[in-house]
Amino acid sequence: MSASVRIGARSLLAHRRRLLGTVLSIVLGVAFLTGTMVLGDTLRANFDTLFADANAGTDAVVRSAQVLDVPNVPGGVRAPLEESLTARLRTAPGVGAAEPSVQGAGQLIGADGEPVGGQGPPTLAGNWIDDPKLNPYRLAEGRAPAAPGEAVINRGAAKAGGLKVGDSTVLRTPDPVRITVVGIATFGADADGMGPSTFTALTLADAQAHLTPKGTGQVSTVRLRSDRLSQRQLVEQIKPLLPDGVEALTGADATAQSTADVSGRFLGLFTTLLLVFAGVALLVATFTIHNTFAIVTAQRTRENALLRALGAGRRQVLGTTLGEALAIGVLASALGLLGGFGVAAGLKALFAAIGFTLPTGGTVVHAATILLPLLTGTLVAAGSALAPALRAARTAPLAALRDTAVDDSARGRSALVRKAVGAVLTAAGLPAVVVGAAHGPSLTLTVGGALALLAGTVVLGPVAAALAVRVLGAPLPRLRGTTGALARRNAARNPKRTAATATALMVGVAVVTLFTVFGASVKATLDDTVSRTFAGDLAVTAPATGAGGSGVSPKLAPAVAALPEVRTAVGLGRGVARIDGRGTQLGVADPVELARVTDLGRIDGSLAALGTDGLAVSRAEAGAHGWRLGSTVAVRFTDTAGTFTVRALYQGGGVAGDYLISREAWRPHRVQDADTLVAVALEPGVTVQQGKAAIGRLAEEYGGPQVQTRAEYAESSASGVDMMLSVVYALLALAVLIALLGIANTLTLAVHERTRELGLLRAVGQSRAQLRAMVRWESVLVAAFGTAGGLALGALLGWALTRASDTAGTGSFALPAGRLAVVALVGLAAGALAGLRPAARAARLDVLRAVASD
Amino acid sequence: MTAAARVEGAVKEYGAGETRVRALDGVSVEFAEAGFTAVMGPSGSGKSTLMHCAAGLDTLSGGRAWLGETELSGLGDRELTLLRRERIGFVFQAFNLLPTLTVRENITLPLDLGGAAPDREWLDALIDVVGLGDRLHHRPSQLSGGQQQRVAVARALAGRPQVVFADEPTGNLDSRSGGEVLGLLRSAVDTMRQSVVMVTHDPAAAGYADTVLFLADGRLVDTMERPTADRVLDRMKALDGRRGKAVAR
Repeated sequence: MSASVRIGARSLLAHRRRLLGTVLSIVLGVAFLTGTMVLGDTLRANFDTLFADANAGTDAVVRSAQVLDVPNVPGGVRAPLEESLTARLRTAPGVGAAEPSVQGAGQLIGADGEPVGGQGPPTLAGNWIDDPKLNPYRLAEGRAPAAPGEAVINRGAAKAGGLKVGDSTVLRTPDPVRITVVGIATFGADADGMGPSTFTALTLADAQAHLTPKGTGQVSTVRLRSDRLSQRQLVEQIKPLLPDGVEALTGADATAQSTADVSGRFLGLFTTLLLVFAGVALLVATFTIHNTFAIVTAQRTRENALLRALGAGRRQVLGTTLGEALAIGVLASALGLLGGFGVAAGLKALFAAIGFTLPTGGTVVHAATILLPLLTGTLVAAGSALAPALRAARTAPLAALRDTAVDDSARGRSALVRKAVGAVLTAAGLPAVVVGAAHGPSLTLTVGGALALLAGTVVLGPVAAALAVRVLGAPLPRLRGTTGALARRNAARNPKRTAATATALMVGVAVVTLFTVFGASVKATLDDTVSRTFAGDLAVTAPATGAGGSGVSPKLAPAVAALPEVRTAVGLGRGVARIDGRGTQLGVADPVELARVTDLGRIDGSLAALGTDGLAVSRAEAGAHGWRLGSTVAVRFTDTAGTFTVRALYQGGGVAGDYLISREAWRPHRVQDADTLVAVALEPGVTVQQGKAAIGRLAEEYGGPQVQTRAEYAESSASGVDMMLSVVYALLALAVLIALLGIANTLTLAVHERTRELGLLRAVGQSRAQLRAMVRWESVLVAAFGTAGGLALGALLGWALTRASDTAGTGSFALPAGRLAVVALVGLAAGALAGLRPAARAARLDVLRAVASD
Repeated sequence: MTAAARVEGAVKEYGAGETRVRALDGVSVEFAEAGFTAVMGPSGSGKSTLMHCAAGLDTLSGGRAWLGETELSGLGDRELTLLRRERIGFVFQAFNLLPTLTVRENITLPLDLGGAAPDREWLDALIDVVGLGDRLHHRPSQLSGGQQQRVAVARALAGRPQVVFADEPTGNLDSRSGGEVLGLLRSAVDTMRQSVVMVTHDPAAAGYADTVLFLADGRLVDTMERPTADRVLDRMKALDGRRGKAVAR
């Protein structure tokens, strides 16, 4: 064992308590990173298994080749097929079986009248396929649906909804369909369902009636199997039989495509988001680790100097310190890796707790998932220790004979360089953020500026720390007398260290603040949009997130309109089309009626003149495409393409979206008809309560969608934001925890370093309680500096992000004072908490030993 | 007798402008091979600076320094490091030992740093001489001050360096422990033909040396061969008196 390695190893063992904080921060960061990656791997594999199971007995799938890529719809929207194709395929040579398959959305209502599922996973409905090999579901109880109104539901939905064979309930397609449960099915041999999704199987005729546009003679796909041909041979065999615009693909390809659709969109976004938070945690850990090593090396100056005097080369001293960091990195990363599996389970539970269920299945780990976190953790440890190690290697041998070096970060040449670099970064970053956000807006410029600003803040930290601590701590001497004064001076005596400690917390608080401000602004924008553009008294919606839910029955709006209490009721549907080459969603409504319950702003042209080939377009969207009244626009639906004329322009950014077409224009192209909103205006003299009660009674017959007042509607539009914010807070808690570990660690080291001084204070009469208070107040001061900096930086960046992402220029900005006050209080309280252990340790000092220590 | 180390016209200045301090002001001395040289002088006389410069811990502002035939000025950090590792032994006043290493590991530290295998017989003999055979696996914190300094002496001798430089080795010790450490250095000179240079302000310590050099205000002011504690004390008093008169005048 070489001398460097031995010295490093010994020093590690001797200082293991001091390095505990470092180890913990790496463990936490790596665990989070691993957890994210394991969760990503597992989900991807689970989805893969799900789709493979769903296509297990299927050798080929025939479907329409007409597909529209629409945002938020994995796989896009596809046109239906003629059912007659099935019979032709069934008789083709080599085909063992061919079954029509109808797939759509259907929200099952449970025994308690509440929707089953609908928070994320899809709520599916379709036909029961009789061929057992082509049907991934198996009957566990009861029988297949044979008569109209009979249905088989999957076991998971039955459990969640409290439904049994023989029960009768409602399926919202979104027209309420009365069904009787005649059977309960498992997915494959024994799963409760296809992941957490729900599935209701009807007879083919029922499924066609409720889930296809024409209501008869149409199917979504045809599933085939062969007993003697390979999948590829089967596809080749049937290809010549297919009409134009219809394609066939193997079961394996269909599985791969479904997996890719989900992985590429949902999972990609999901894991990227989590990785960002893992990155924030590791960034915070970097500051904490760097600080620990900087302090430990400073404290070890004499040891390193002695080594240098005795003939240790610079590289040997460097190697010793770096080796220590590497060892810690490897060890802590390995621990973090183990913890990561727990984190993966925890993350899954977190999402389940907020109602966003993910598929279940065994944990899957790829080699990269092991290697990357290990490597990252080790690199973070070694990288953070590099600068302190280099400083250690530069130790002059003569330093062994002097007292420990003083911190000169606020003076001298290096301080000048620091001030200059920090000033340049800040001076470049601040205007870039402001200009990027306010004019343009340019996300690139804003992000670049934000990064420069962050770097500038970190570099300027030590310069600002002394001043900030003096200002923030100004009331302390009056509040806490000598104890307070000492705490304030202790926090200011080593500005570099205070800054580095506070920076970790600052980054954490800044990100929390950023999301808080951004979230509040998004909420305010949504709120504002609703209150500005929703001119009705009541709204009927079927709220759902992700791929769940199925909207409101289009028959509800006319029924509501017929109520004596109601003056106007307009259903707003969603259509899909490719306009100008891009898949997009269209608002489908009676435009003239819609204008009565929503505020479309100034209207150019005429909404009444849309007809079956007219479009109403928001002014911003029209401007982006260079359209004016009378411009012709190519619109491609799932089935056919056509040319539409722009007949009206309105103020966009509201509930109506950017495009409006009439119901007549949409009807030939519709897929599964549903309204997202029924906007209601009441007759004069009818109170909101009366109206709500009347519509509520009526809505019961339509599957019980929610009836909301304007305020409730605005609130619920923004409820998704609150859900996302709670997830973000939970994820950021880790970064803040690491930052607090950093504060505790620095203080523990400082207490160790000041043993003599503390002993002296005790010797001249400071009580244990005073000593504890002194250390705690120092901790609070450091935390206050970090929190204040984080709040300022986060609020600025939150403003910038809100402005930069608001391309339409219609968004609102909100500074949620209450929430930010909570963030500030939590930061301070956490600082006090972080100071507890170091304070207790300091108070345990034996006065004599402290004074006599060498 | 050839010199184990020597300096010629050594000048060392700290600071600049008005705060400039001249710690060494043209000192030329030779440290005898296989001899025990003590460097004496009042605080601020430059005796420690002389040692640091002669040992390659610090660099001269003017003049030249040699270790054996090697001239120190002009050597880079790497060469100086190797020189300290292989050809010089150090005993400091305090903080001589790495607290995390055992006694034995501290003794072999310079050899380990160079990756050299220690000569077992020599090491055993050394450990025998310093009398710490039963403490080899203790940590420095478990030893008394005198024992710690004896370990430091053993470490300085372990690599059989050209010169052992000792900076106030007995400064923190009581007279009995100090005597033991000085006896060790003395016997290293007598039985191992080791060259030793020791900075001290204690006349009793200087009494163990073959030659005593007296420094005052950065200059060599006197030398004494075969000193005794009493004669050194007298000479010191005389020097102090002369200095006092010089200040008075």
